[in-house]
Amino acid sequence: MSRPTATASRPQLALQSYLDGLLQEAAAELADVIAPIAAPVVAAAPVRPVPVPAPVAKAAPAPVDDDAISLDEFEAAVLEEQVRDARLQAPPAAARPAAVKLERPTLVLPTLEMAKPVLMPTLLVEQPAPVVEKPVAEKPVVLTPPVAEAPVVASVVERQIHADMSPTPPPLQLSGQPSWGEEPFECLLFDVAGLTLAVPLVCLGSIYPLVGQELTPLFGQPDWFLGILPCQAGNLRVLDTARWVMPDRYRDDFRQGLQYVISVQGYEWGLAVHQVSRSIRLDPKEVKWRSQRSQRPWLAGTVIEHMCALVDVAVLAELIASGAAKRLTSDGRVH
Amino acid sequence: MKKTSAQGSEDPILQWVTFRLDNETYGINVMQVQEVLRYTEIAPVPGAPSYVLGIINLRGNVVTVIDTRQRFGLDSGSVTDNTRIVIIEADKQVVGIMVDSVAEVVYLRQSEVETAPNVGNDESAKFIQGVCNKNGELLILVELDKMMSEEEWSELESI
Repeated sequence: MSRPTATASRPQLALQSYLDGLLQEAAAELADVIAPIAAPVVAAAPVRPVPVPAPVAKAAPAPVDDDAISLDEFEAAVLEEQVRDARLQAPPAAARPAAVKLERPTLVLPTLEMAKPVLMPTLLVEQPAPVVEKPVAEKPVVLTPPVAEAPVVASVVERQIHADMSPTPPPLQLSGQPSWGEEPFECLLFDVAGLTLAVPLVCLGSIYPLVGQELTPLFGQPDWFLGILPCQAGNLRVLDTARWVMPDRYRDDFRQGLQYVISVQGYEWGLAVHQVSRSIRLDPKEVKWRSQRSQRPWLAGTVIEHMCALVDVAVLAELIASGAAKRLTSDGRVH
Repeated sequence: MKKTSAQGSEDPILQWVTFRLDNETYGINVMQVQEVLRYTEIAPVPGAPSYVLGIINLRGNVVTVIDTRQRFGLDSGSVTDNTRIVIIEADKQVVGIMVDSVAEVVYLRQSEVETAPNVGNDESAKFIQGVCNKNGELLILVELDKMMSEEEWSELESI
């Protein structure tokens, strides 16, 4: 489990690969959609077919250029998402009867009628943070909103995120902005196979180290099910996040070097990740929310500033827990 | 299901025979286990389904032996000194299941057993009855009756 270099050294590559996948999915539809959508879409289209050549990964010494390229790619991907969303939302056009007949997604997730969470989750330090100079003792440290400082990887691991709310998950919403995204919210950034993902803290449970732990596989389960991790809260079912997020780009070596499991609040499921980065505070305006989530319902939106995808883990967990994941097609739709 | 004195209580204690397959520990209901045999030569049956290893002569009775690894979707393994054939009764039939080794009989409270994730489309996922932590390791509890479909049990009967 010591592969971090493999992924960390190629974040651009992985991100580009993922985005390329996103773009490819929309490729067939793009031509139809360009006209009804705004002109910039046309400009973005040529950016799409960027293969992932090795030289790009080797161009690390020029970080500024790389960043620029990645940012373009990211923006292009966001644009593609918008295009796709717009297409899904567009009223049936006479010219495209086939689109009208597209099967509407049949995913019906139970709506939990809960009061909207008012309290922001707090990070409680159970052990003294190793890097902090002044001892934190056992006194809970409440992280105040934006922690945009250096990565807190080491200390975050030993923290348990106790969402100071009821253990039940927040209400699920499959279109537009989730309820937790209506106001500025805290997010945890983590890395999966070089791709940065953000998840709202309100949906998170705890972080468990995976190094040195053994996952118990179960036969007959889908390939994205890594196994069961016994932990103090019980048996946590661990899913292969990379396989969910980028199934088309998945490589077997992504299973190496997984460091942590992040459990989802209110569910027995956790996401295996390569690295936990830091927490940030996001304003809803910073997020490009997906208006329609019939495809990849777990993807709430994208954050261009941080070049990351915002994952609605509650929807992801509910998708799995409800059994809807069994009906998940390779393109992320639930049939 | 074998229950101890706590049978009438709300949280009965169940007994499970545990065996190992491919480094994992599985449990089967002790009441379905008739005996445990050392590995003995298994006579293949021409035309038998792939999950059937063959038959053995158990004190004059013919018992079909199932390839448990194949049934569980695991790679085939080699026979060792620890290999055992567990004679079980499932779906009103007596069959043998070949396992890497037999470990022990464990007592589990009903409340200790957690349901297994229901996310697999694979047929084999259906016969995982639950999971349980015991002695620091995870025990996978198998529901033997569901190890075969009705058709497969009928097929076995005709061998």
